[in-house]
Parts: sequence; C-alpha cells; structure tokens
Amino acid sequence: MKRLCMGLLMVLVCNASFAQTKLFTKTGSITFFSKTNVENITAKNNKVLSIWEPASGKIEFSVLMKGFEFEKALMQEHFNENYVESDKYPKAIFKGTVENSNSISLTINKNNTVNVSGALTMHGITNQINIPATITINNALVSASASFEVLLADYKIKIPSLVADNINKKIKISINIPLYKSL
Amino acid sequence: MSPIKKYVAIGIVTLAAVAAIYAYKEFNRKTADLATVTAQETVTVANLIAAYEADEAKANKQYLGKTILVNGNIVEINNQQDTLMNVLLGNASDMHNVSCLLDKKQFEKIKKYSVGKPIAIKGVCTGFLADVELNRCVIVNDK
Repeated sequence: MKRLCMGLLMVLVCNASFAQTKLFTKTGSITFFSKTNVENITAKNNKVLSIWEPASGKIEFSVLMKGFEFEKALMQEHFNENYVESDKYPKAIFKGTVENSNSISLTINKNNTVNVSGALTMHGITNQINIPATITINNALVSASASFEVLLADYKIKIPSLVADNINKKIKISINIPLYKSL
Repeated sequence: MSPIKKYVAIGIVTLAAVAAIYAYKEFNRKTADLATVTAQETVTVANLIAAYEADEAKANKQYLGKTILVNGNIVEINNQQDTLMNVLLGNASDMHNVSCLLDKKQFEKIKKYSVGKPIAIKGVCTGFLADVELNRCVIVNDK
C-alpha cells in the first residue's frame, strides 16, 4: 500500500513538473501563399522559433523576414526591399495565449483543436488576431499547426500598381511545428 | 521602305528582342549559389555571436542580408529526413550559437564532418533569434 501511495505521488509530482515546463522549437516552418489568376507565389521559412507554456497558455512565435525563400530571386528581392522592408523590420513576432491550454493533456494521444489569440507584429504594425490551431499529442510528442489569412493593408504593406494583379491582397499563412521539445 | 527606315526598324526589333530576353531571364532568375559568391564579411563564430549579443541593431547594420564567411566548431548537425540540414556552430555550453541552414547541394559534403570539428561556412545572414541565423550555406574548406 505504501509503495502504491509513493508510486501515485511520483506520478502526480512528475505530471505537475511536466505541466510547468516550457516547450520550444527552433525548427518550425511558416509558409505563405498568394494566389491570383496571373501567378501563384509561395515562400517558406524553416527557422521559426516558438515557445509554449502549457500551464499558462502563453505562446510566442518569432521569424526572420529575410529567412523566407522564394522560387524566384526577383520575388525574394522585391519582398525584402519593397514590401516588408526587412532591413528596417527584420522580424515578425506573435505573442498570445492558447485558450484553455491547461486542459490539454500532454500524455493523451489526441488532436486538440484550440483557439489562439494575441498580437501579431509585422512591418512595424501590431494587430490583434484570433486563429484556430491544432495541437497534436502523439506518444507524448507535441506538434502543432495553424493556418490563417492576413490582409496586407492591415500591416501597411504596399504593392505597386504595376504588379498589383500578381499579388493577392489577402495572404494565406500556414504554421507548422513538427516537434515541441522541453526547455 | 527606304534603306534607313529598314535599318531603324531592324534596330528597334533587335532592341525589343534583347529587352524581352533580358526581362524573361531576370523574371526567372534563381537565388545565387553562394559557392559562386564572394563573402562580404569574414568573422569568427565567437565574434559574430558577441556582436549580436552586445547590440543586435548595430550587428544587423553590419551583417544583415550579407554573404558572410564564418569560422568555428560544429556543435550539432541536424538532419531532418534529408530535406533540411542544419549545422550549429559555437560552443555547446553557450546560450547562443550560429545556426546554418545548408544549401541542398551541400548535403553530401557535410557527411565528412563531425561534431567538435572546425569548419568554415559561407551563408546569408538573416538576423538573430535564439541563434544568429545563416541561410543557403555552403561549406568552404572542403576536405
């Protein structure tokens, strides 16, 4: 009986300490996609930094704008120099909260559909956003994904009229975190 | 058509064709393979990290967007299913490192290297997150 009690206590202590930990990754990816009748443009960044604290729900993402790779060099140059002005604004940062984060069990295999709300700062402009996301637990491995749309106008990103037909005013953004590790 | 007009017409057509070929090539241009690009800055891994730790904005002015050549020791080689290969440089005990995402053409070359060994890598500096980030990296001192 004593041994059982000790065992139970150990499980509780382990769970509690696990719940307090922060999870992080340096190898998340963000892809964005612009679709128009003229052309489809996609760019990917594989060096997304993210930290999530399951107990409090606090979550952060940071990405370097110059780290987005395009299929064509000219697109990449225009993106950096003219649209997001990455010399002036090198990072995009999201700071927010996973709603009901503490109700997610990190040990039960499940696709948890959650709501994430917070502030997205890009091109020097901060906007409140609210996005649906999925946090997947599979054999105690934690992964996450989300996709949402942003309006270029909300971040004062101006597209010259010459190429206005080539770039959608609404950009689809997909975030993929293949694995959150314990910090 | 007078001979002069004919020459002018041929000239205009030729110019238009050259312009069109240039525009087409420019539109389809790929990002340069850094093996063919001369580094704009050369720095040790320790000095690059120190520069970013001291003053990120100042370090960005010097390095951001530039092709830089760094020298340091390998902390980790991270292979993600052969689709992405990342090399971490510096000291394992340091809080910040230099993180180099390799160009696909370098995947075979990095197999000759191991953790703890010195290496020279050329890449485009994209800034500072948890580490100083370099993209499209190529190995310089190929053994």
